[in-house]
Amino acid sequence: MKRRTVIIAPAILAATFWGGMTFAQDKVLRFATWNTSPESIAINQAIVTKFEEANPGVKVQVELYGDGFDDKLTAAMGAGNPPDLMYMWNYPAYYQSLMPLDDMIARDAAELNLADIPSGLMNGGLIDGKTYGMPVGFTTHVIFYNKDLLAAAGVAEPQAGWTWADLRAAAATLSKPDEQIFGFAVDAKPDPFDFEEFFWSNGAQYISDDGKVLDGVMNSPEAAEVLDMFGDMIKTGEAVALNIGDQTSGSDLFKAGKLAMMEGAMWNKGGIDESGVNYGVAVLPAFGDKPVKSTINASGISIAKDTADPDLAWAFVKFFSTPEAVALRTNDLPIRTSVAESSGMMADPKLAPFFAMLAVADGTVPSFLKNPEWGRIQENLSLAIEATMIDQGNAKAHLDEAVSASARFLK
Amino acid sequence: MADAVTARRPSRRRRGAGITPWLFISPWILGFVCFTLGPLIFSLTMSFYDWPVVGERTFVGADNYRTMLTEDPQFWHSLGVTVKFAAIFVPLNIAVSFLLAVLLNTKVRGTAFFRTAFYLPSVISGVALVTIWSWIYSQRYGLLNYLLGQSGTEGVNWLGDPGWAVVAIVVASLWGLGGTMLILLAGLQSIPKELYEAARMSGVPPWAQAIHITLPMLSPMLLFTFITSIISAFQQLTIALLLTEGGPLGSTYFFAMYIYETAFRFHDMGYAAAMSWVMFVIILALSLLVMRSSSAWVHYEGEMKGKGGTDG
Repeated sequence: MKRRTVIIAPAILAATFWGGMTFAQDKVLRFATWNTSPESIAINQAIVTKFEEANPGVKVQVELYGDGFDDKLTAAMGAGNPPDLMYMWNYPAYYQSLMPLDDMIARDAAELNLADIPSGLMNGGLIDGKTYGMPVGFTTHVIFYNKDLLAAAGVAEPQAGWTWADLRAAAATLSKPDEQIFGFAVDAKPDPFDFEEFFWSNGAQYISDDGKVLDGVMNSPEAAEVLDMFGDMIKTGEAVALNIGDQTSGSDLFKAGKLAMMEGAMWNKGGIDESGVNYGVAVLPAFGDKPVKSTINASGISIAKDTADPDLAWAFVKFFSTPEAVALRTNDLPIRTSVAESSGMMADPKLAPFFAMLAVADGTVPSFLKNPEWGRIQENLSLAIEATMIDQGNAKAHLDEAVSASARFLK
Repeated sequence: MADAVTARRPSRRRRGAGITPWLFISPWILGFVCFTLGPLIFSLTMSFYDWPVVGERTFVGADNYRTMLTEDPQFWHSLGVTVKFAAIFVPLNIAVSFLLAVLLNTKVRGTAFFRTAFYLPSVISGVALVTIWSWIYSQRYGLLNYLLGQSGTEGVNWLGDPGWAVVAIVVASLWGLGGTMLILLAGLQSIPKELYEAARMSGVPPWAQAIHITLPMLSPMLLFTFITSIISAFQQLTIALLLTEGGPLGSTYFFAMYIYETAFRFHDMGYAAAMSWVMFVIILALSLLVMRSSSAWVHYEGEMKGKGGTDG
């Protein structure tokens, strides 16, 4: 009995050790993502699975950081243990820990077919002349509108080239406060990154091009005009104010059929599709005859600077940019023009406005790229926007406050 | 000669316990050094550096502290908000806990059930608590405004009005008074009944009994809960972070939240560490102040004030 144990036990140990070693032979790539919705997680996993099938012996470990993406990524980088691959949009904050990709892009330029990717999207990952990420998806902003509510109120559907005056007139007709139905929604605490599109559309911006001047820029008459317009919409009841003590979102109201028109992006579309609302999509309205601009939210994929296997990580990044992988990502817009055309997206009336907004969105640079202290300045700007929405006006005074409170960050 | 060789050394057992006690306490000491003392010293070091999460770390000496105290209006604003919150929360916390403890101390049926019911909210996780309160406080659909509407008054925008948001957070924080209540209840139950009997027989009215018997006998517990309430008020973070996100208009932007955002939003670890140490100094100063004043109002059982005891 004892003899058998002496033989069997080491044999089992050896077998598990051997088996463990075989598993350890698999090369592991850690990939951090920010997806929270089940569909986007599934899409991501589908691409990862395809890559693993094409590359036996490689395991891609998807790490779902979800809403805590920045916190977890910061903690991982601070501990010197960042994931090999990660989604990325905030290049200024993280580029020092990322690997520049220019050499690899140049080497594999033919394979990547860079002409198929709009340059505006490639430039999203450019810091100080070096590229730190390959684009994986993007969205622009549009207006979602409830066709049934518009028809019931006798309001014509928005056409390309419409203005804020048109939207306000429609919202005034559509708002029925006693039935808790609203024409439009104004967010008192918007993401300033997205909100800047309204400033751009009125010929204003948050900070000067060289990132050094706020006074006269952030509180210019055009800027105050934008905020005053939104404040006035709340005052007259054309729009409902969101995020003042309430955490109901615009898309919740839209999906419930309580909101006639809403500014949104691709991340709203999936939920709205599911809700069954009969909706249409229109481009953003313009301020008079000034050219309308939209924010481009481009996400990219980056490689950590000190990753163990740069070539394998780059192989994954290249795979993510192939037309097949791009076509799988149905939760945002394709970075490749060929995929957009071949899939018929550009002809779809619910998607065409997104591409229309991309076509006119050049010449604008997001503020967070212009000044390293923008994060702190943005806090004061957010306060000014919130104050104007609560005050339902008085934008210039609040913007002046934001400018003076931010002066110490410009030094 | 033979004596010197055969002289016996004293037995080990008699000399002392040796290394054994150290081995027994080493797990705790190791944990303390690795997880408490070590990070404490590390954060103190960090506070003298410009320490971004990603990038170069440069030594700046006392610059963080200087900036904080002279150039940062947000520091004073957050401190002001926190002090205002503490000023409302601490007295309310102690008063309501005391009231509930007195009620639970009565000889009525069902005190066990109510004790559990009052203690339960304090063990709920902060996130669940915030979710419940955000439903209660919602201006349009909330329970509180509905009940107020039923009784005739118009409900305010609890979380959206800069004036009311701090009050809303105070009330939500009061749900955590279960622990304080239990401590005071234990204190109440440990007061000797003979004192009350003697007072009743001497014809002392109930309110005087409360002032001259209950409060002095309870004062050590009150001191403890006072200090712990101050500490937890200054460290308030979860509720503000989740319920109001520091808004509206920064009216609930607590100091702990400013530290959190400086560290994890603006990635400025050195500055956040400096602010944490300033918070530590402030809380320490307040606690010492309370301890100092305690000799005037805290009465420990067995202690004799002034002349007494064996002296004539």
